[in-house]
Amino acid sequence: MTVFFKIFAALACLWACLLPSAQAAPRLPTDPTEVLERLPIRPGDTTARELAALGAAVTLAARDTPNNPQPATQLAERYYELAIARGDPRYIGYADAVMATFTQSSAPAALVVRGQLKQYRHDFDGALADFAAALNADPAFASAHAWRGAIYKVQANYPAAKAECDALQKLDRATLYAGCIGLATAYSGQLETGFATLQRALDQTQDAGNRLWLLTRLGEVAAWRGKPEQAEKYYRAALALGIDDGYLLAAWSDFLLDQKRPAEVVKALANWEASDGLLLRLALAETVLKLPAAKAHVQALADRFAAAKVRGDTTHRAEEARFQLHLGGNAADALTIAAANYQVQREPRDARPLLEAAIAARNPAAAQPVRDWLKSSGFEDAHLRQLVEASAAPPLSAPKPEAKP
Amino acid sequence: MTRLRLMFCRLLALCAICALPAVAHKASDSYLVLNVKGQQITGQWDIALRDIDFAIGLDANSDGEITWGEVRARHTNISAWALGRLNVQRGGDCTLQVAEHLVDTHTDGAYAVLRLTGTCPSGTQALAVNYRLLFEIDQLHRGLLRLDLDGVSHSTVLAPDTGVLTIKAGETSRLAQFGQYLVEGIWHIWIGFDHILFLLALLLPAVLVHAVTLGGTRRWKGVVSFRVALTEVLWVVTAFTVAHSITLTLAALQIIELPSRVVESAIAASVVLAAANNLWPVVERRRWLVAFSFGLIHGFGFASVLTELGLPKDALVLSLLGFNLGVETGQLAIVAVFLPVAYLLRNTALYRKGLFFGGSFLTMLVALVWLAERAFNLKLISV
Repeated sequence: MTVFFKIFAALACLWACLLPSAQAAPRLPTDPTEVLERLPIRPGDTTARELAALGAAVTLAARDTPNNPQPATQLAERYYELAIARGDPRYIGYADAVMATFTQSSAPAALVVRGQLKQYRHDFDGALADFAAALNADPAFASAHAWRGAIYKVQANYPAAKAECDALQKLDRATLYAGCIGLATAYSGQLETGFATLQRALDQTQDAGNRLWLLTRLGEVAAWRGKPEQAEKYYRAALALGIDDGYLLAAWSDFLLDQKRPAEVVKALANWEASDGLLLRLALAETVLKLPAAKAHVQALADRFAAAKVRGDTTHRAEEARFQLHLGGNAADALTIAAANYQVQREPRDARPLLEAAIAARNPAAAQPVRDWLKSSGFEDAHLRQLVEASAAPPLSAPKPEAKP
Repeated sequence: MTRLRLMFCRLLALCAICALPAVAHKASDSYLVLNVKGQQITGQWDIALRDIDFAIGLDANSDGEITWGEVRARHTNISAWALGRLNVQRGGDCTLQVAEHLVDTHTDGAYAVLRLTGTCPSGTQALAVNYRLLFEIDQLHRGLLRLDLDGVSHSTVLAPDTGVLTIKAGETSRLAQFGQYLVEGIWHIWIGFDHILFLLALLLPAVLVHAVTLGGTRRWKGVVSFRVALTEVLWVVTAFTVAHSITLTLAALQIIELPSRVVESAIAASVVLAAANNLWPVVERRRWLVAFSFGLIHGFGFASVLTELGLPKDALVLSLLGFNLGVETGQLAIVAVFLPVAYLLRNTALYRKGLFFGGSFLTMLVALVWLAERAFNLKLISV
């Protein structure tokens, strides 16, 4: 009788599970003390009070000095920093809304903040226009040059990037200059010189934010130079600063994955599942280690990329391409996405998914833009050069049928 | 009803338990579903608790956590705030109200779910949607709208620069409409377990032959060739298809109407009989006749689904055709999976005893319960 009931229940369960409403559905909670959501910033802490103060200044200024963009700019900057530190795009939305009343403002600070927000959404042309306008109004606005330099590097326009670095040198901004030219040099075929420049900049600055940026880049460049112990030294120094930074964690995890140390990735990213990019690296590591958590994380990633697609968000295409290739087993989609991404962003970390997808999908033509870039830039990372060569090889022809005796 | 489902699932751990995923960071979205049929609007609006808190405050005791009690206390304010930023017009302003407040979870956390109802002055004019939620404080917020306007679906993303979204009634192409009903047809056969079980009950013996053995007894054996099985399957499926297409059309066009309780009970009875016929063979050579005659009844069952979906008056034939083809396609998909497997297994004891006898027996029992439920209006195993 129990067997019969079990089979019966199995059938019922099967129906239930197949019916559409078996997924998580809206519900009426019964317990008023049930915690539904934890807010990212607790009302009492420093950040909350800071934001409240800045917000109050904005409200006051809107009333008393409506043409003064300064308080709004400060609040937007603070939101921007939060977005980057936590990998949380909602803050960019808040910053956008705060700056919405100043879209016509020609104050350099406002233009630079608007440019920062645009580049976050990968509207590079819009951002460049804003930075150019800021420099028109104030040619000594160093961060506008720094940002333009960064965007030109993303677009693989190294001569333009170097021009921005020179401008920073003329403005006597030694650290900004060294950071700018160091990376530009590294991208354009001189890893050793670039490394030395970045190292010099590191020696000259005590600012934690600058050191974080420089140490992360030095780790990347050391890895490209084929010096993993050196790279690890720099990454660990960056981590030791104790500042939350999604970019550093991503670079460090990618390094560990390349060094075949997935267990350390799992440890490092244990609490960072909220960030799509870091969840990807975590899932990659867990898949290599065949951990049970991998399945749920891969599903979560699929859901997140699907949600991003619905809202038309294209800022994570490099990660999505890697997801489709290594976790989704879909080389064709990965190639399409990686190619679309490479049209907008052309840093080495954007070249790699395109190369890997082109190799997996046996489509050498698709990787031509990367081969062109490598030729013109002379980028020296041996691993990437190997991938480029592999991508150019023609697809293996089908073996000839054996002659019948 | 939901508790019963969950109990079964937990009992056997057959269902994949969705492990609670980590809360994602993404830009703000709200999910707005609107079903507009003539003058009536129903819908659902999912808004992130985090966003509501940012806009109007929910964390009454400032401890960084939002509890159900805190949300419940602000329900009136939430409704007023949300509805004040959504304007739907059809021949004039439609009145919208929140009928029910629930909660749900999406990838980036907990959401308030507002069940919406409303009426519009006109049931035929174009629909205009003006969505302004959160834009003044979050420019990356998007409203993900799924609209069903008189049976035609539209999906769109509402952004700060969308302005007023206008959709004309019956705007989608004929092809899209046809496609929609095709999909509905496929879907409804796949979730129509009574129809599937009936079909399978008739198909299970298709790869078998009830032959006289040397000892003089009759027992089931696998058929000799695939063609025999395929012919039988084709006859049965075609007869079923033709029959239910006829009555589906007659009922959908309201030429013949039968009370649904009678129809549903008759469908259950047909499944009982088809399964019982496998255990105590009465009809062996003319299964297609059984398929045809009972198929006529199943057609009425599909028709009730179609009435619920609603047939657009200006594309009646097309939608009917689409739905019918959808049902056929769904059926063929099931048969295409079933037949090769059954043919390969036909000589095994697993098939004869397990799938054929065991399966028919179970089917008969389940269908008897359905019959009892539907005839006497009970709820025993159905949800």
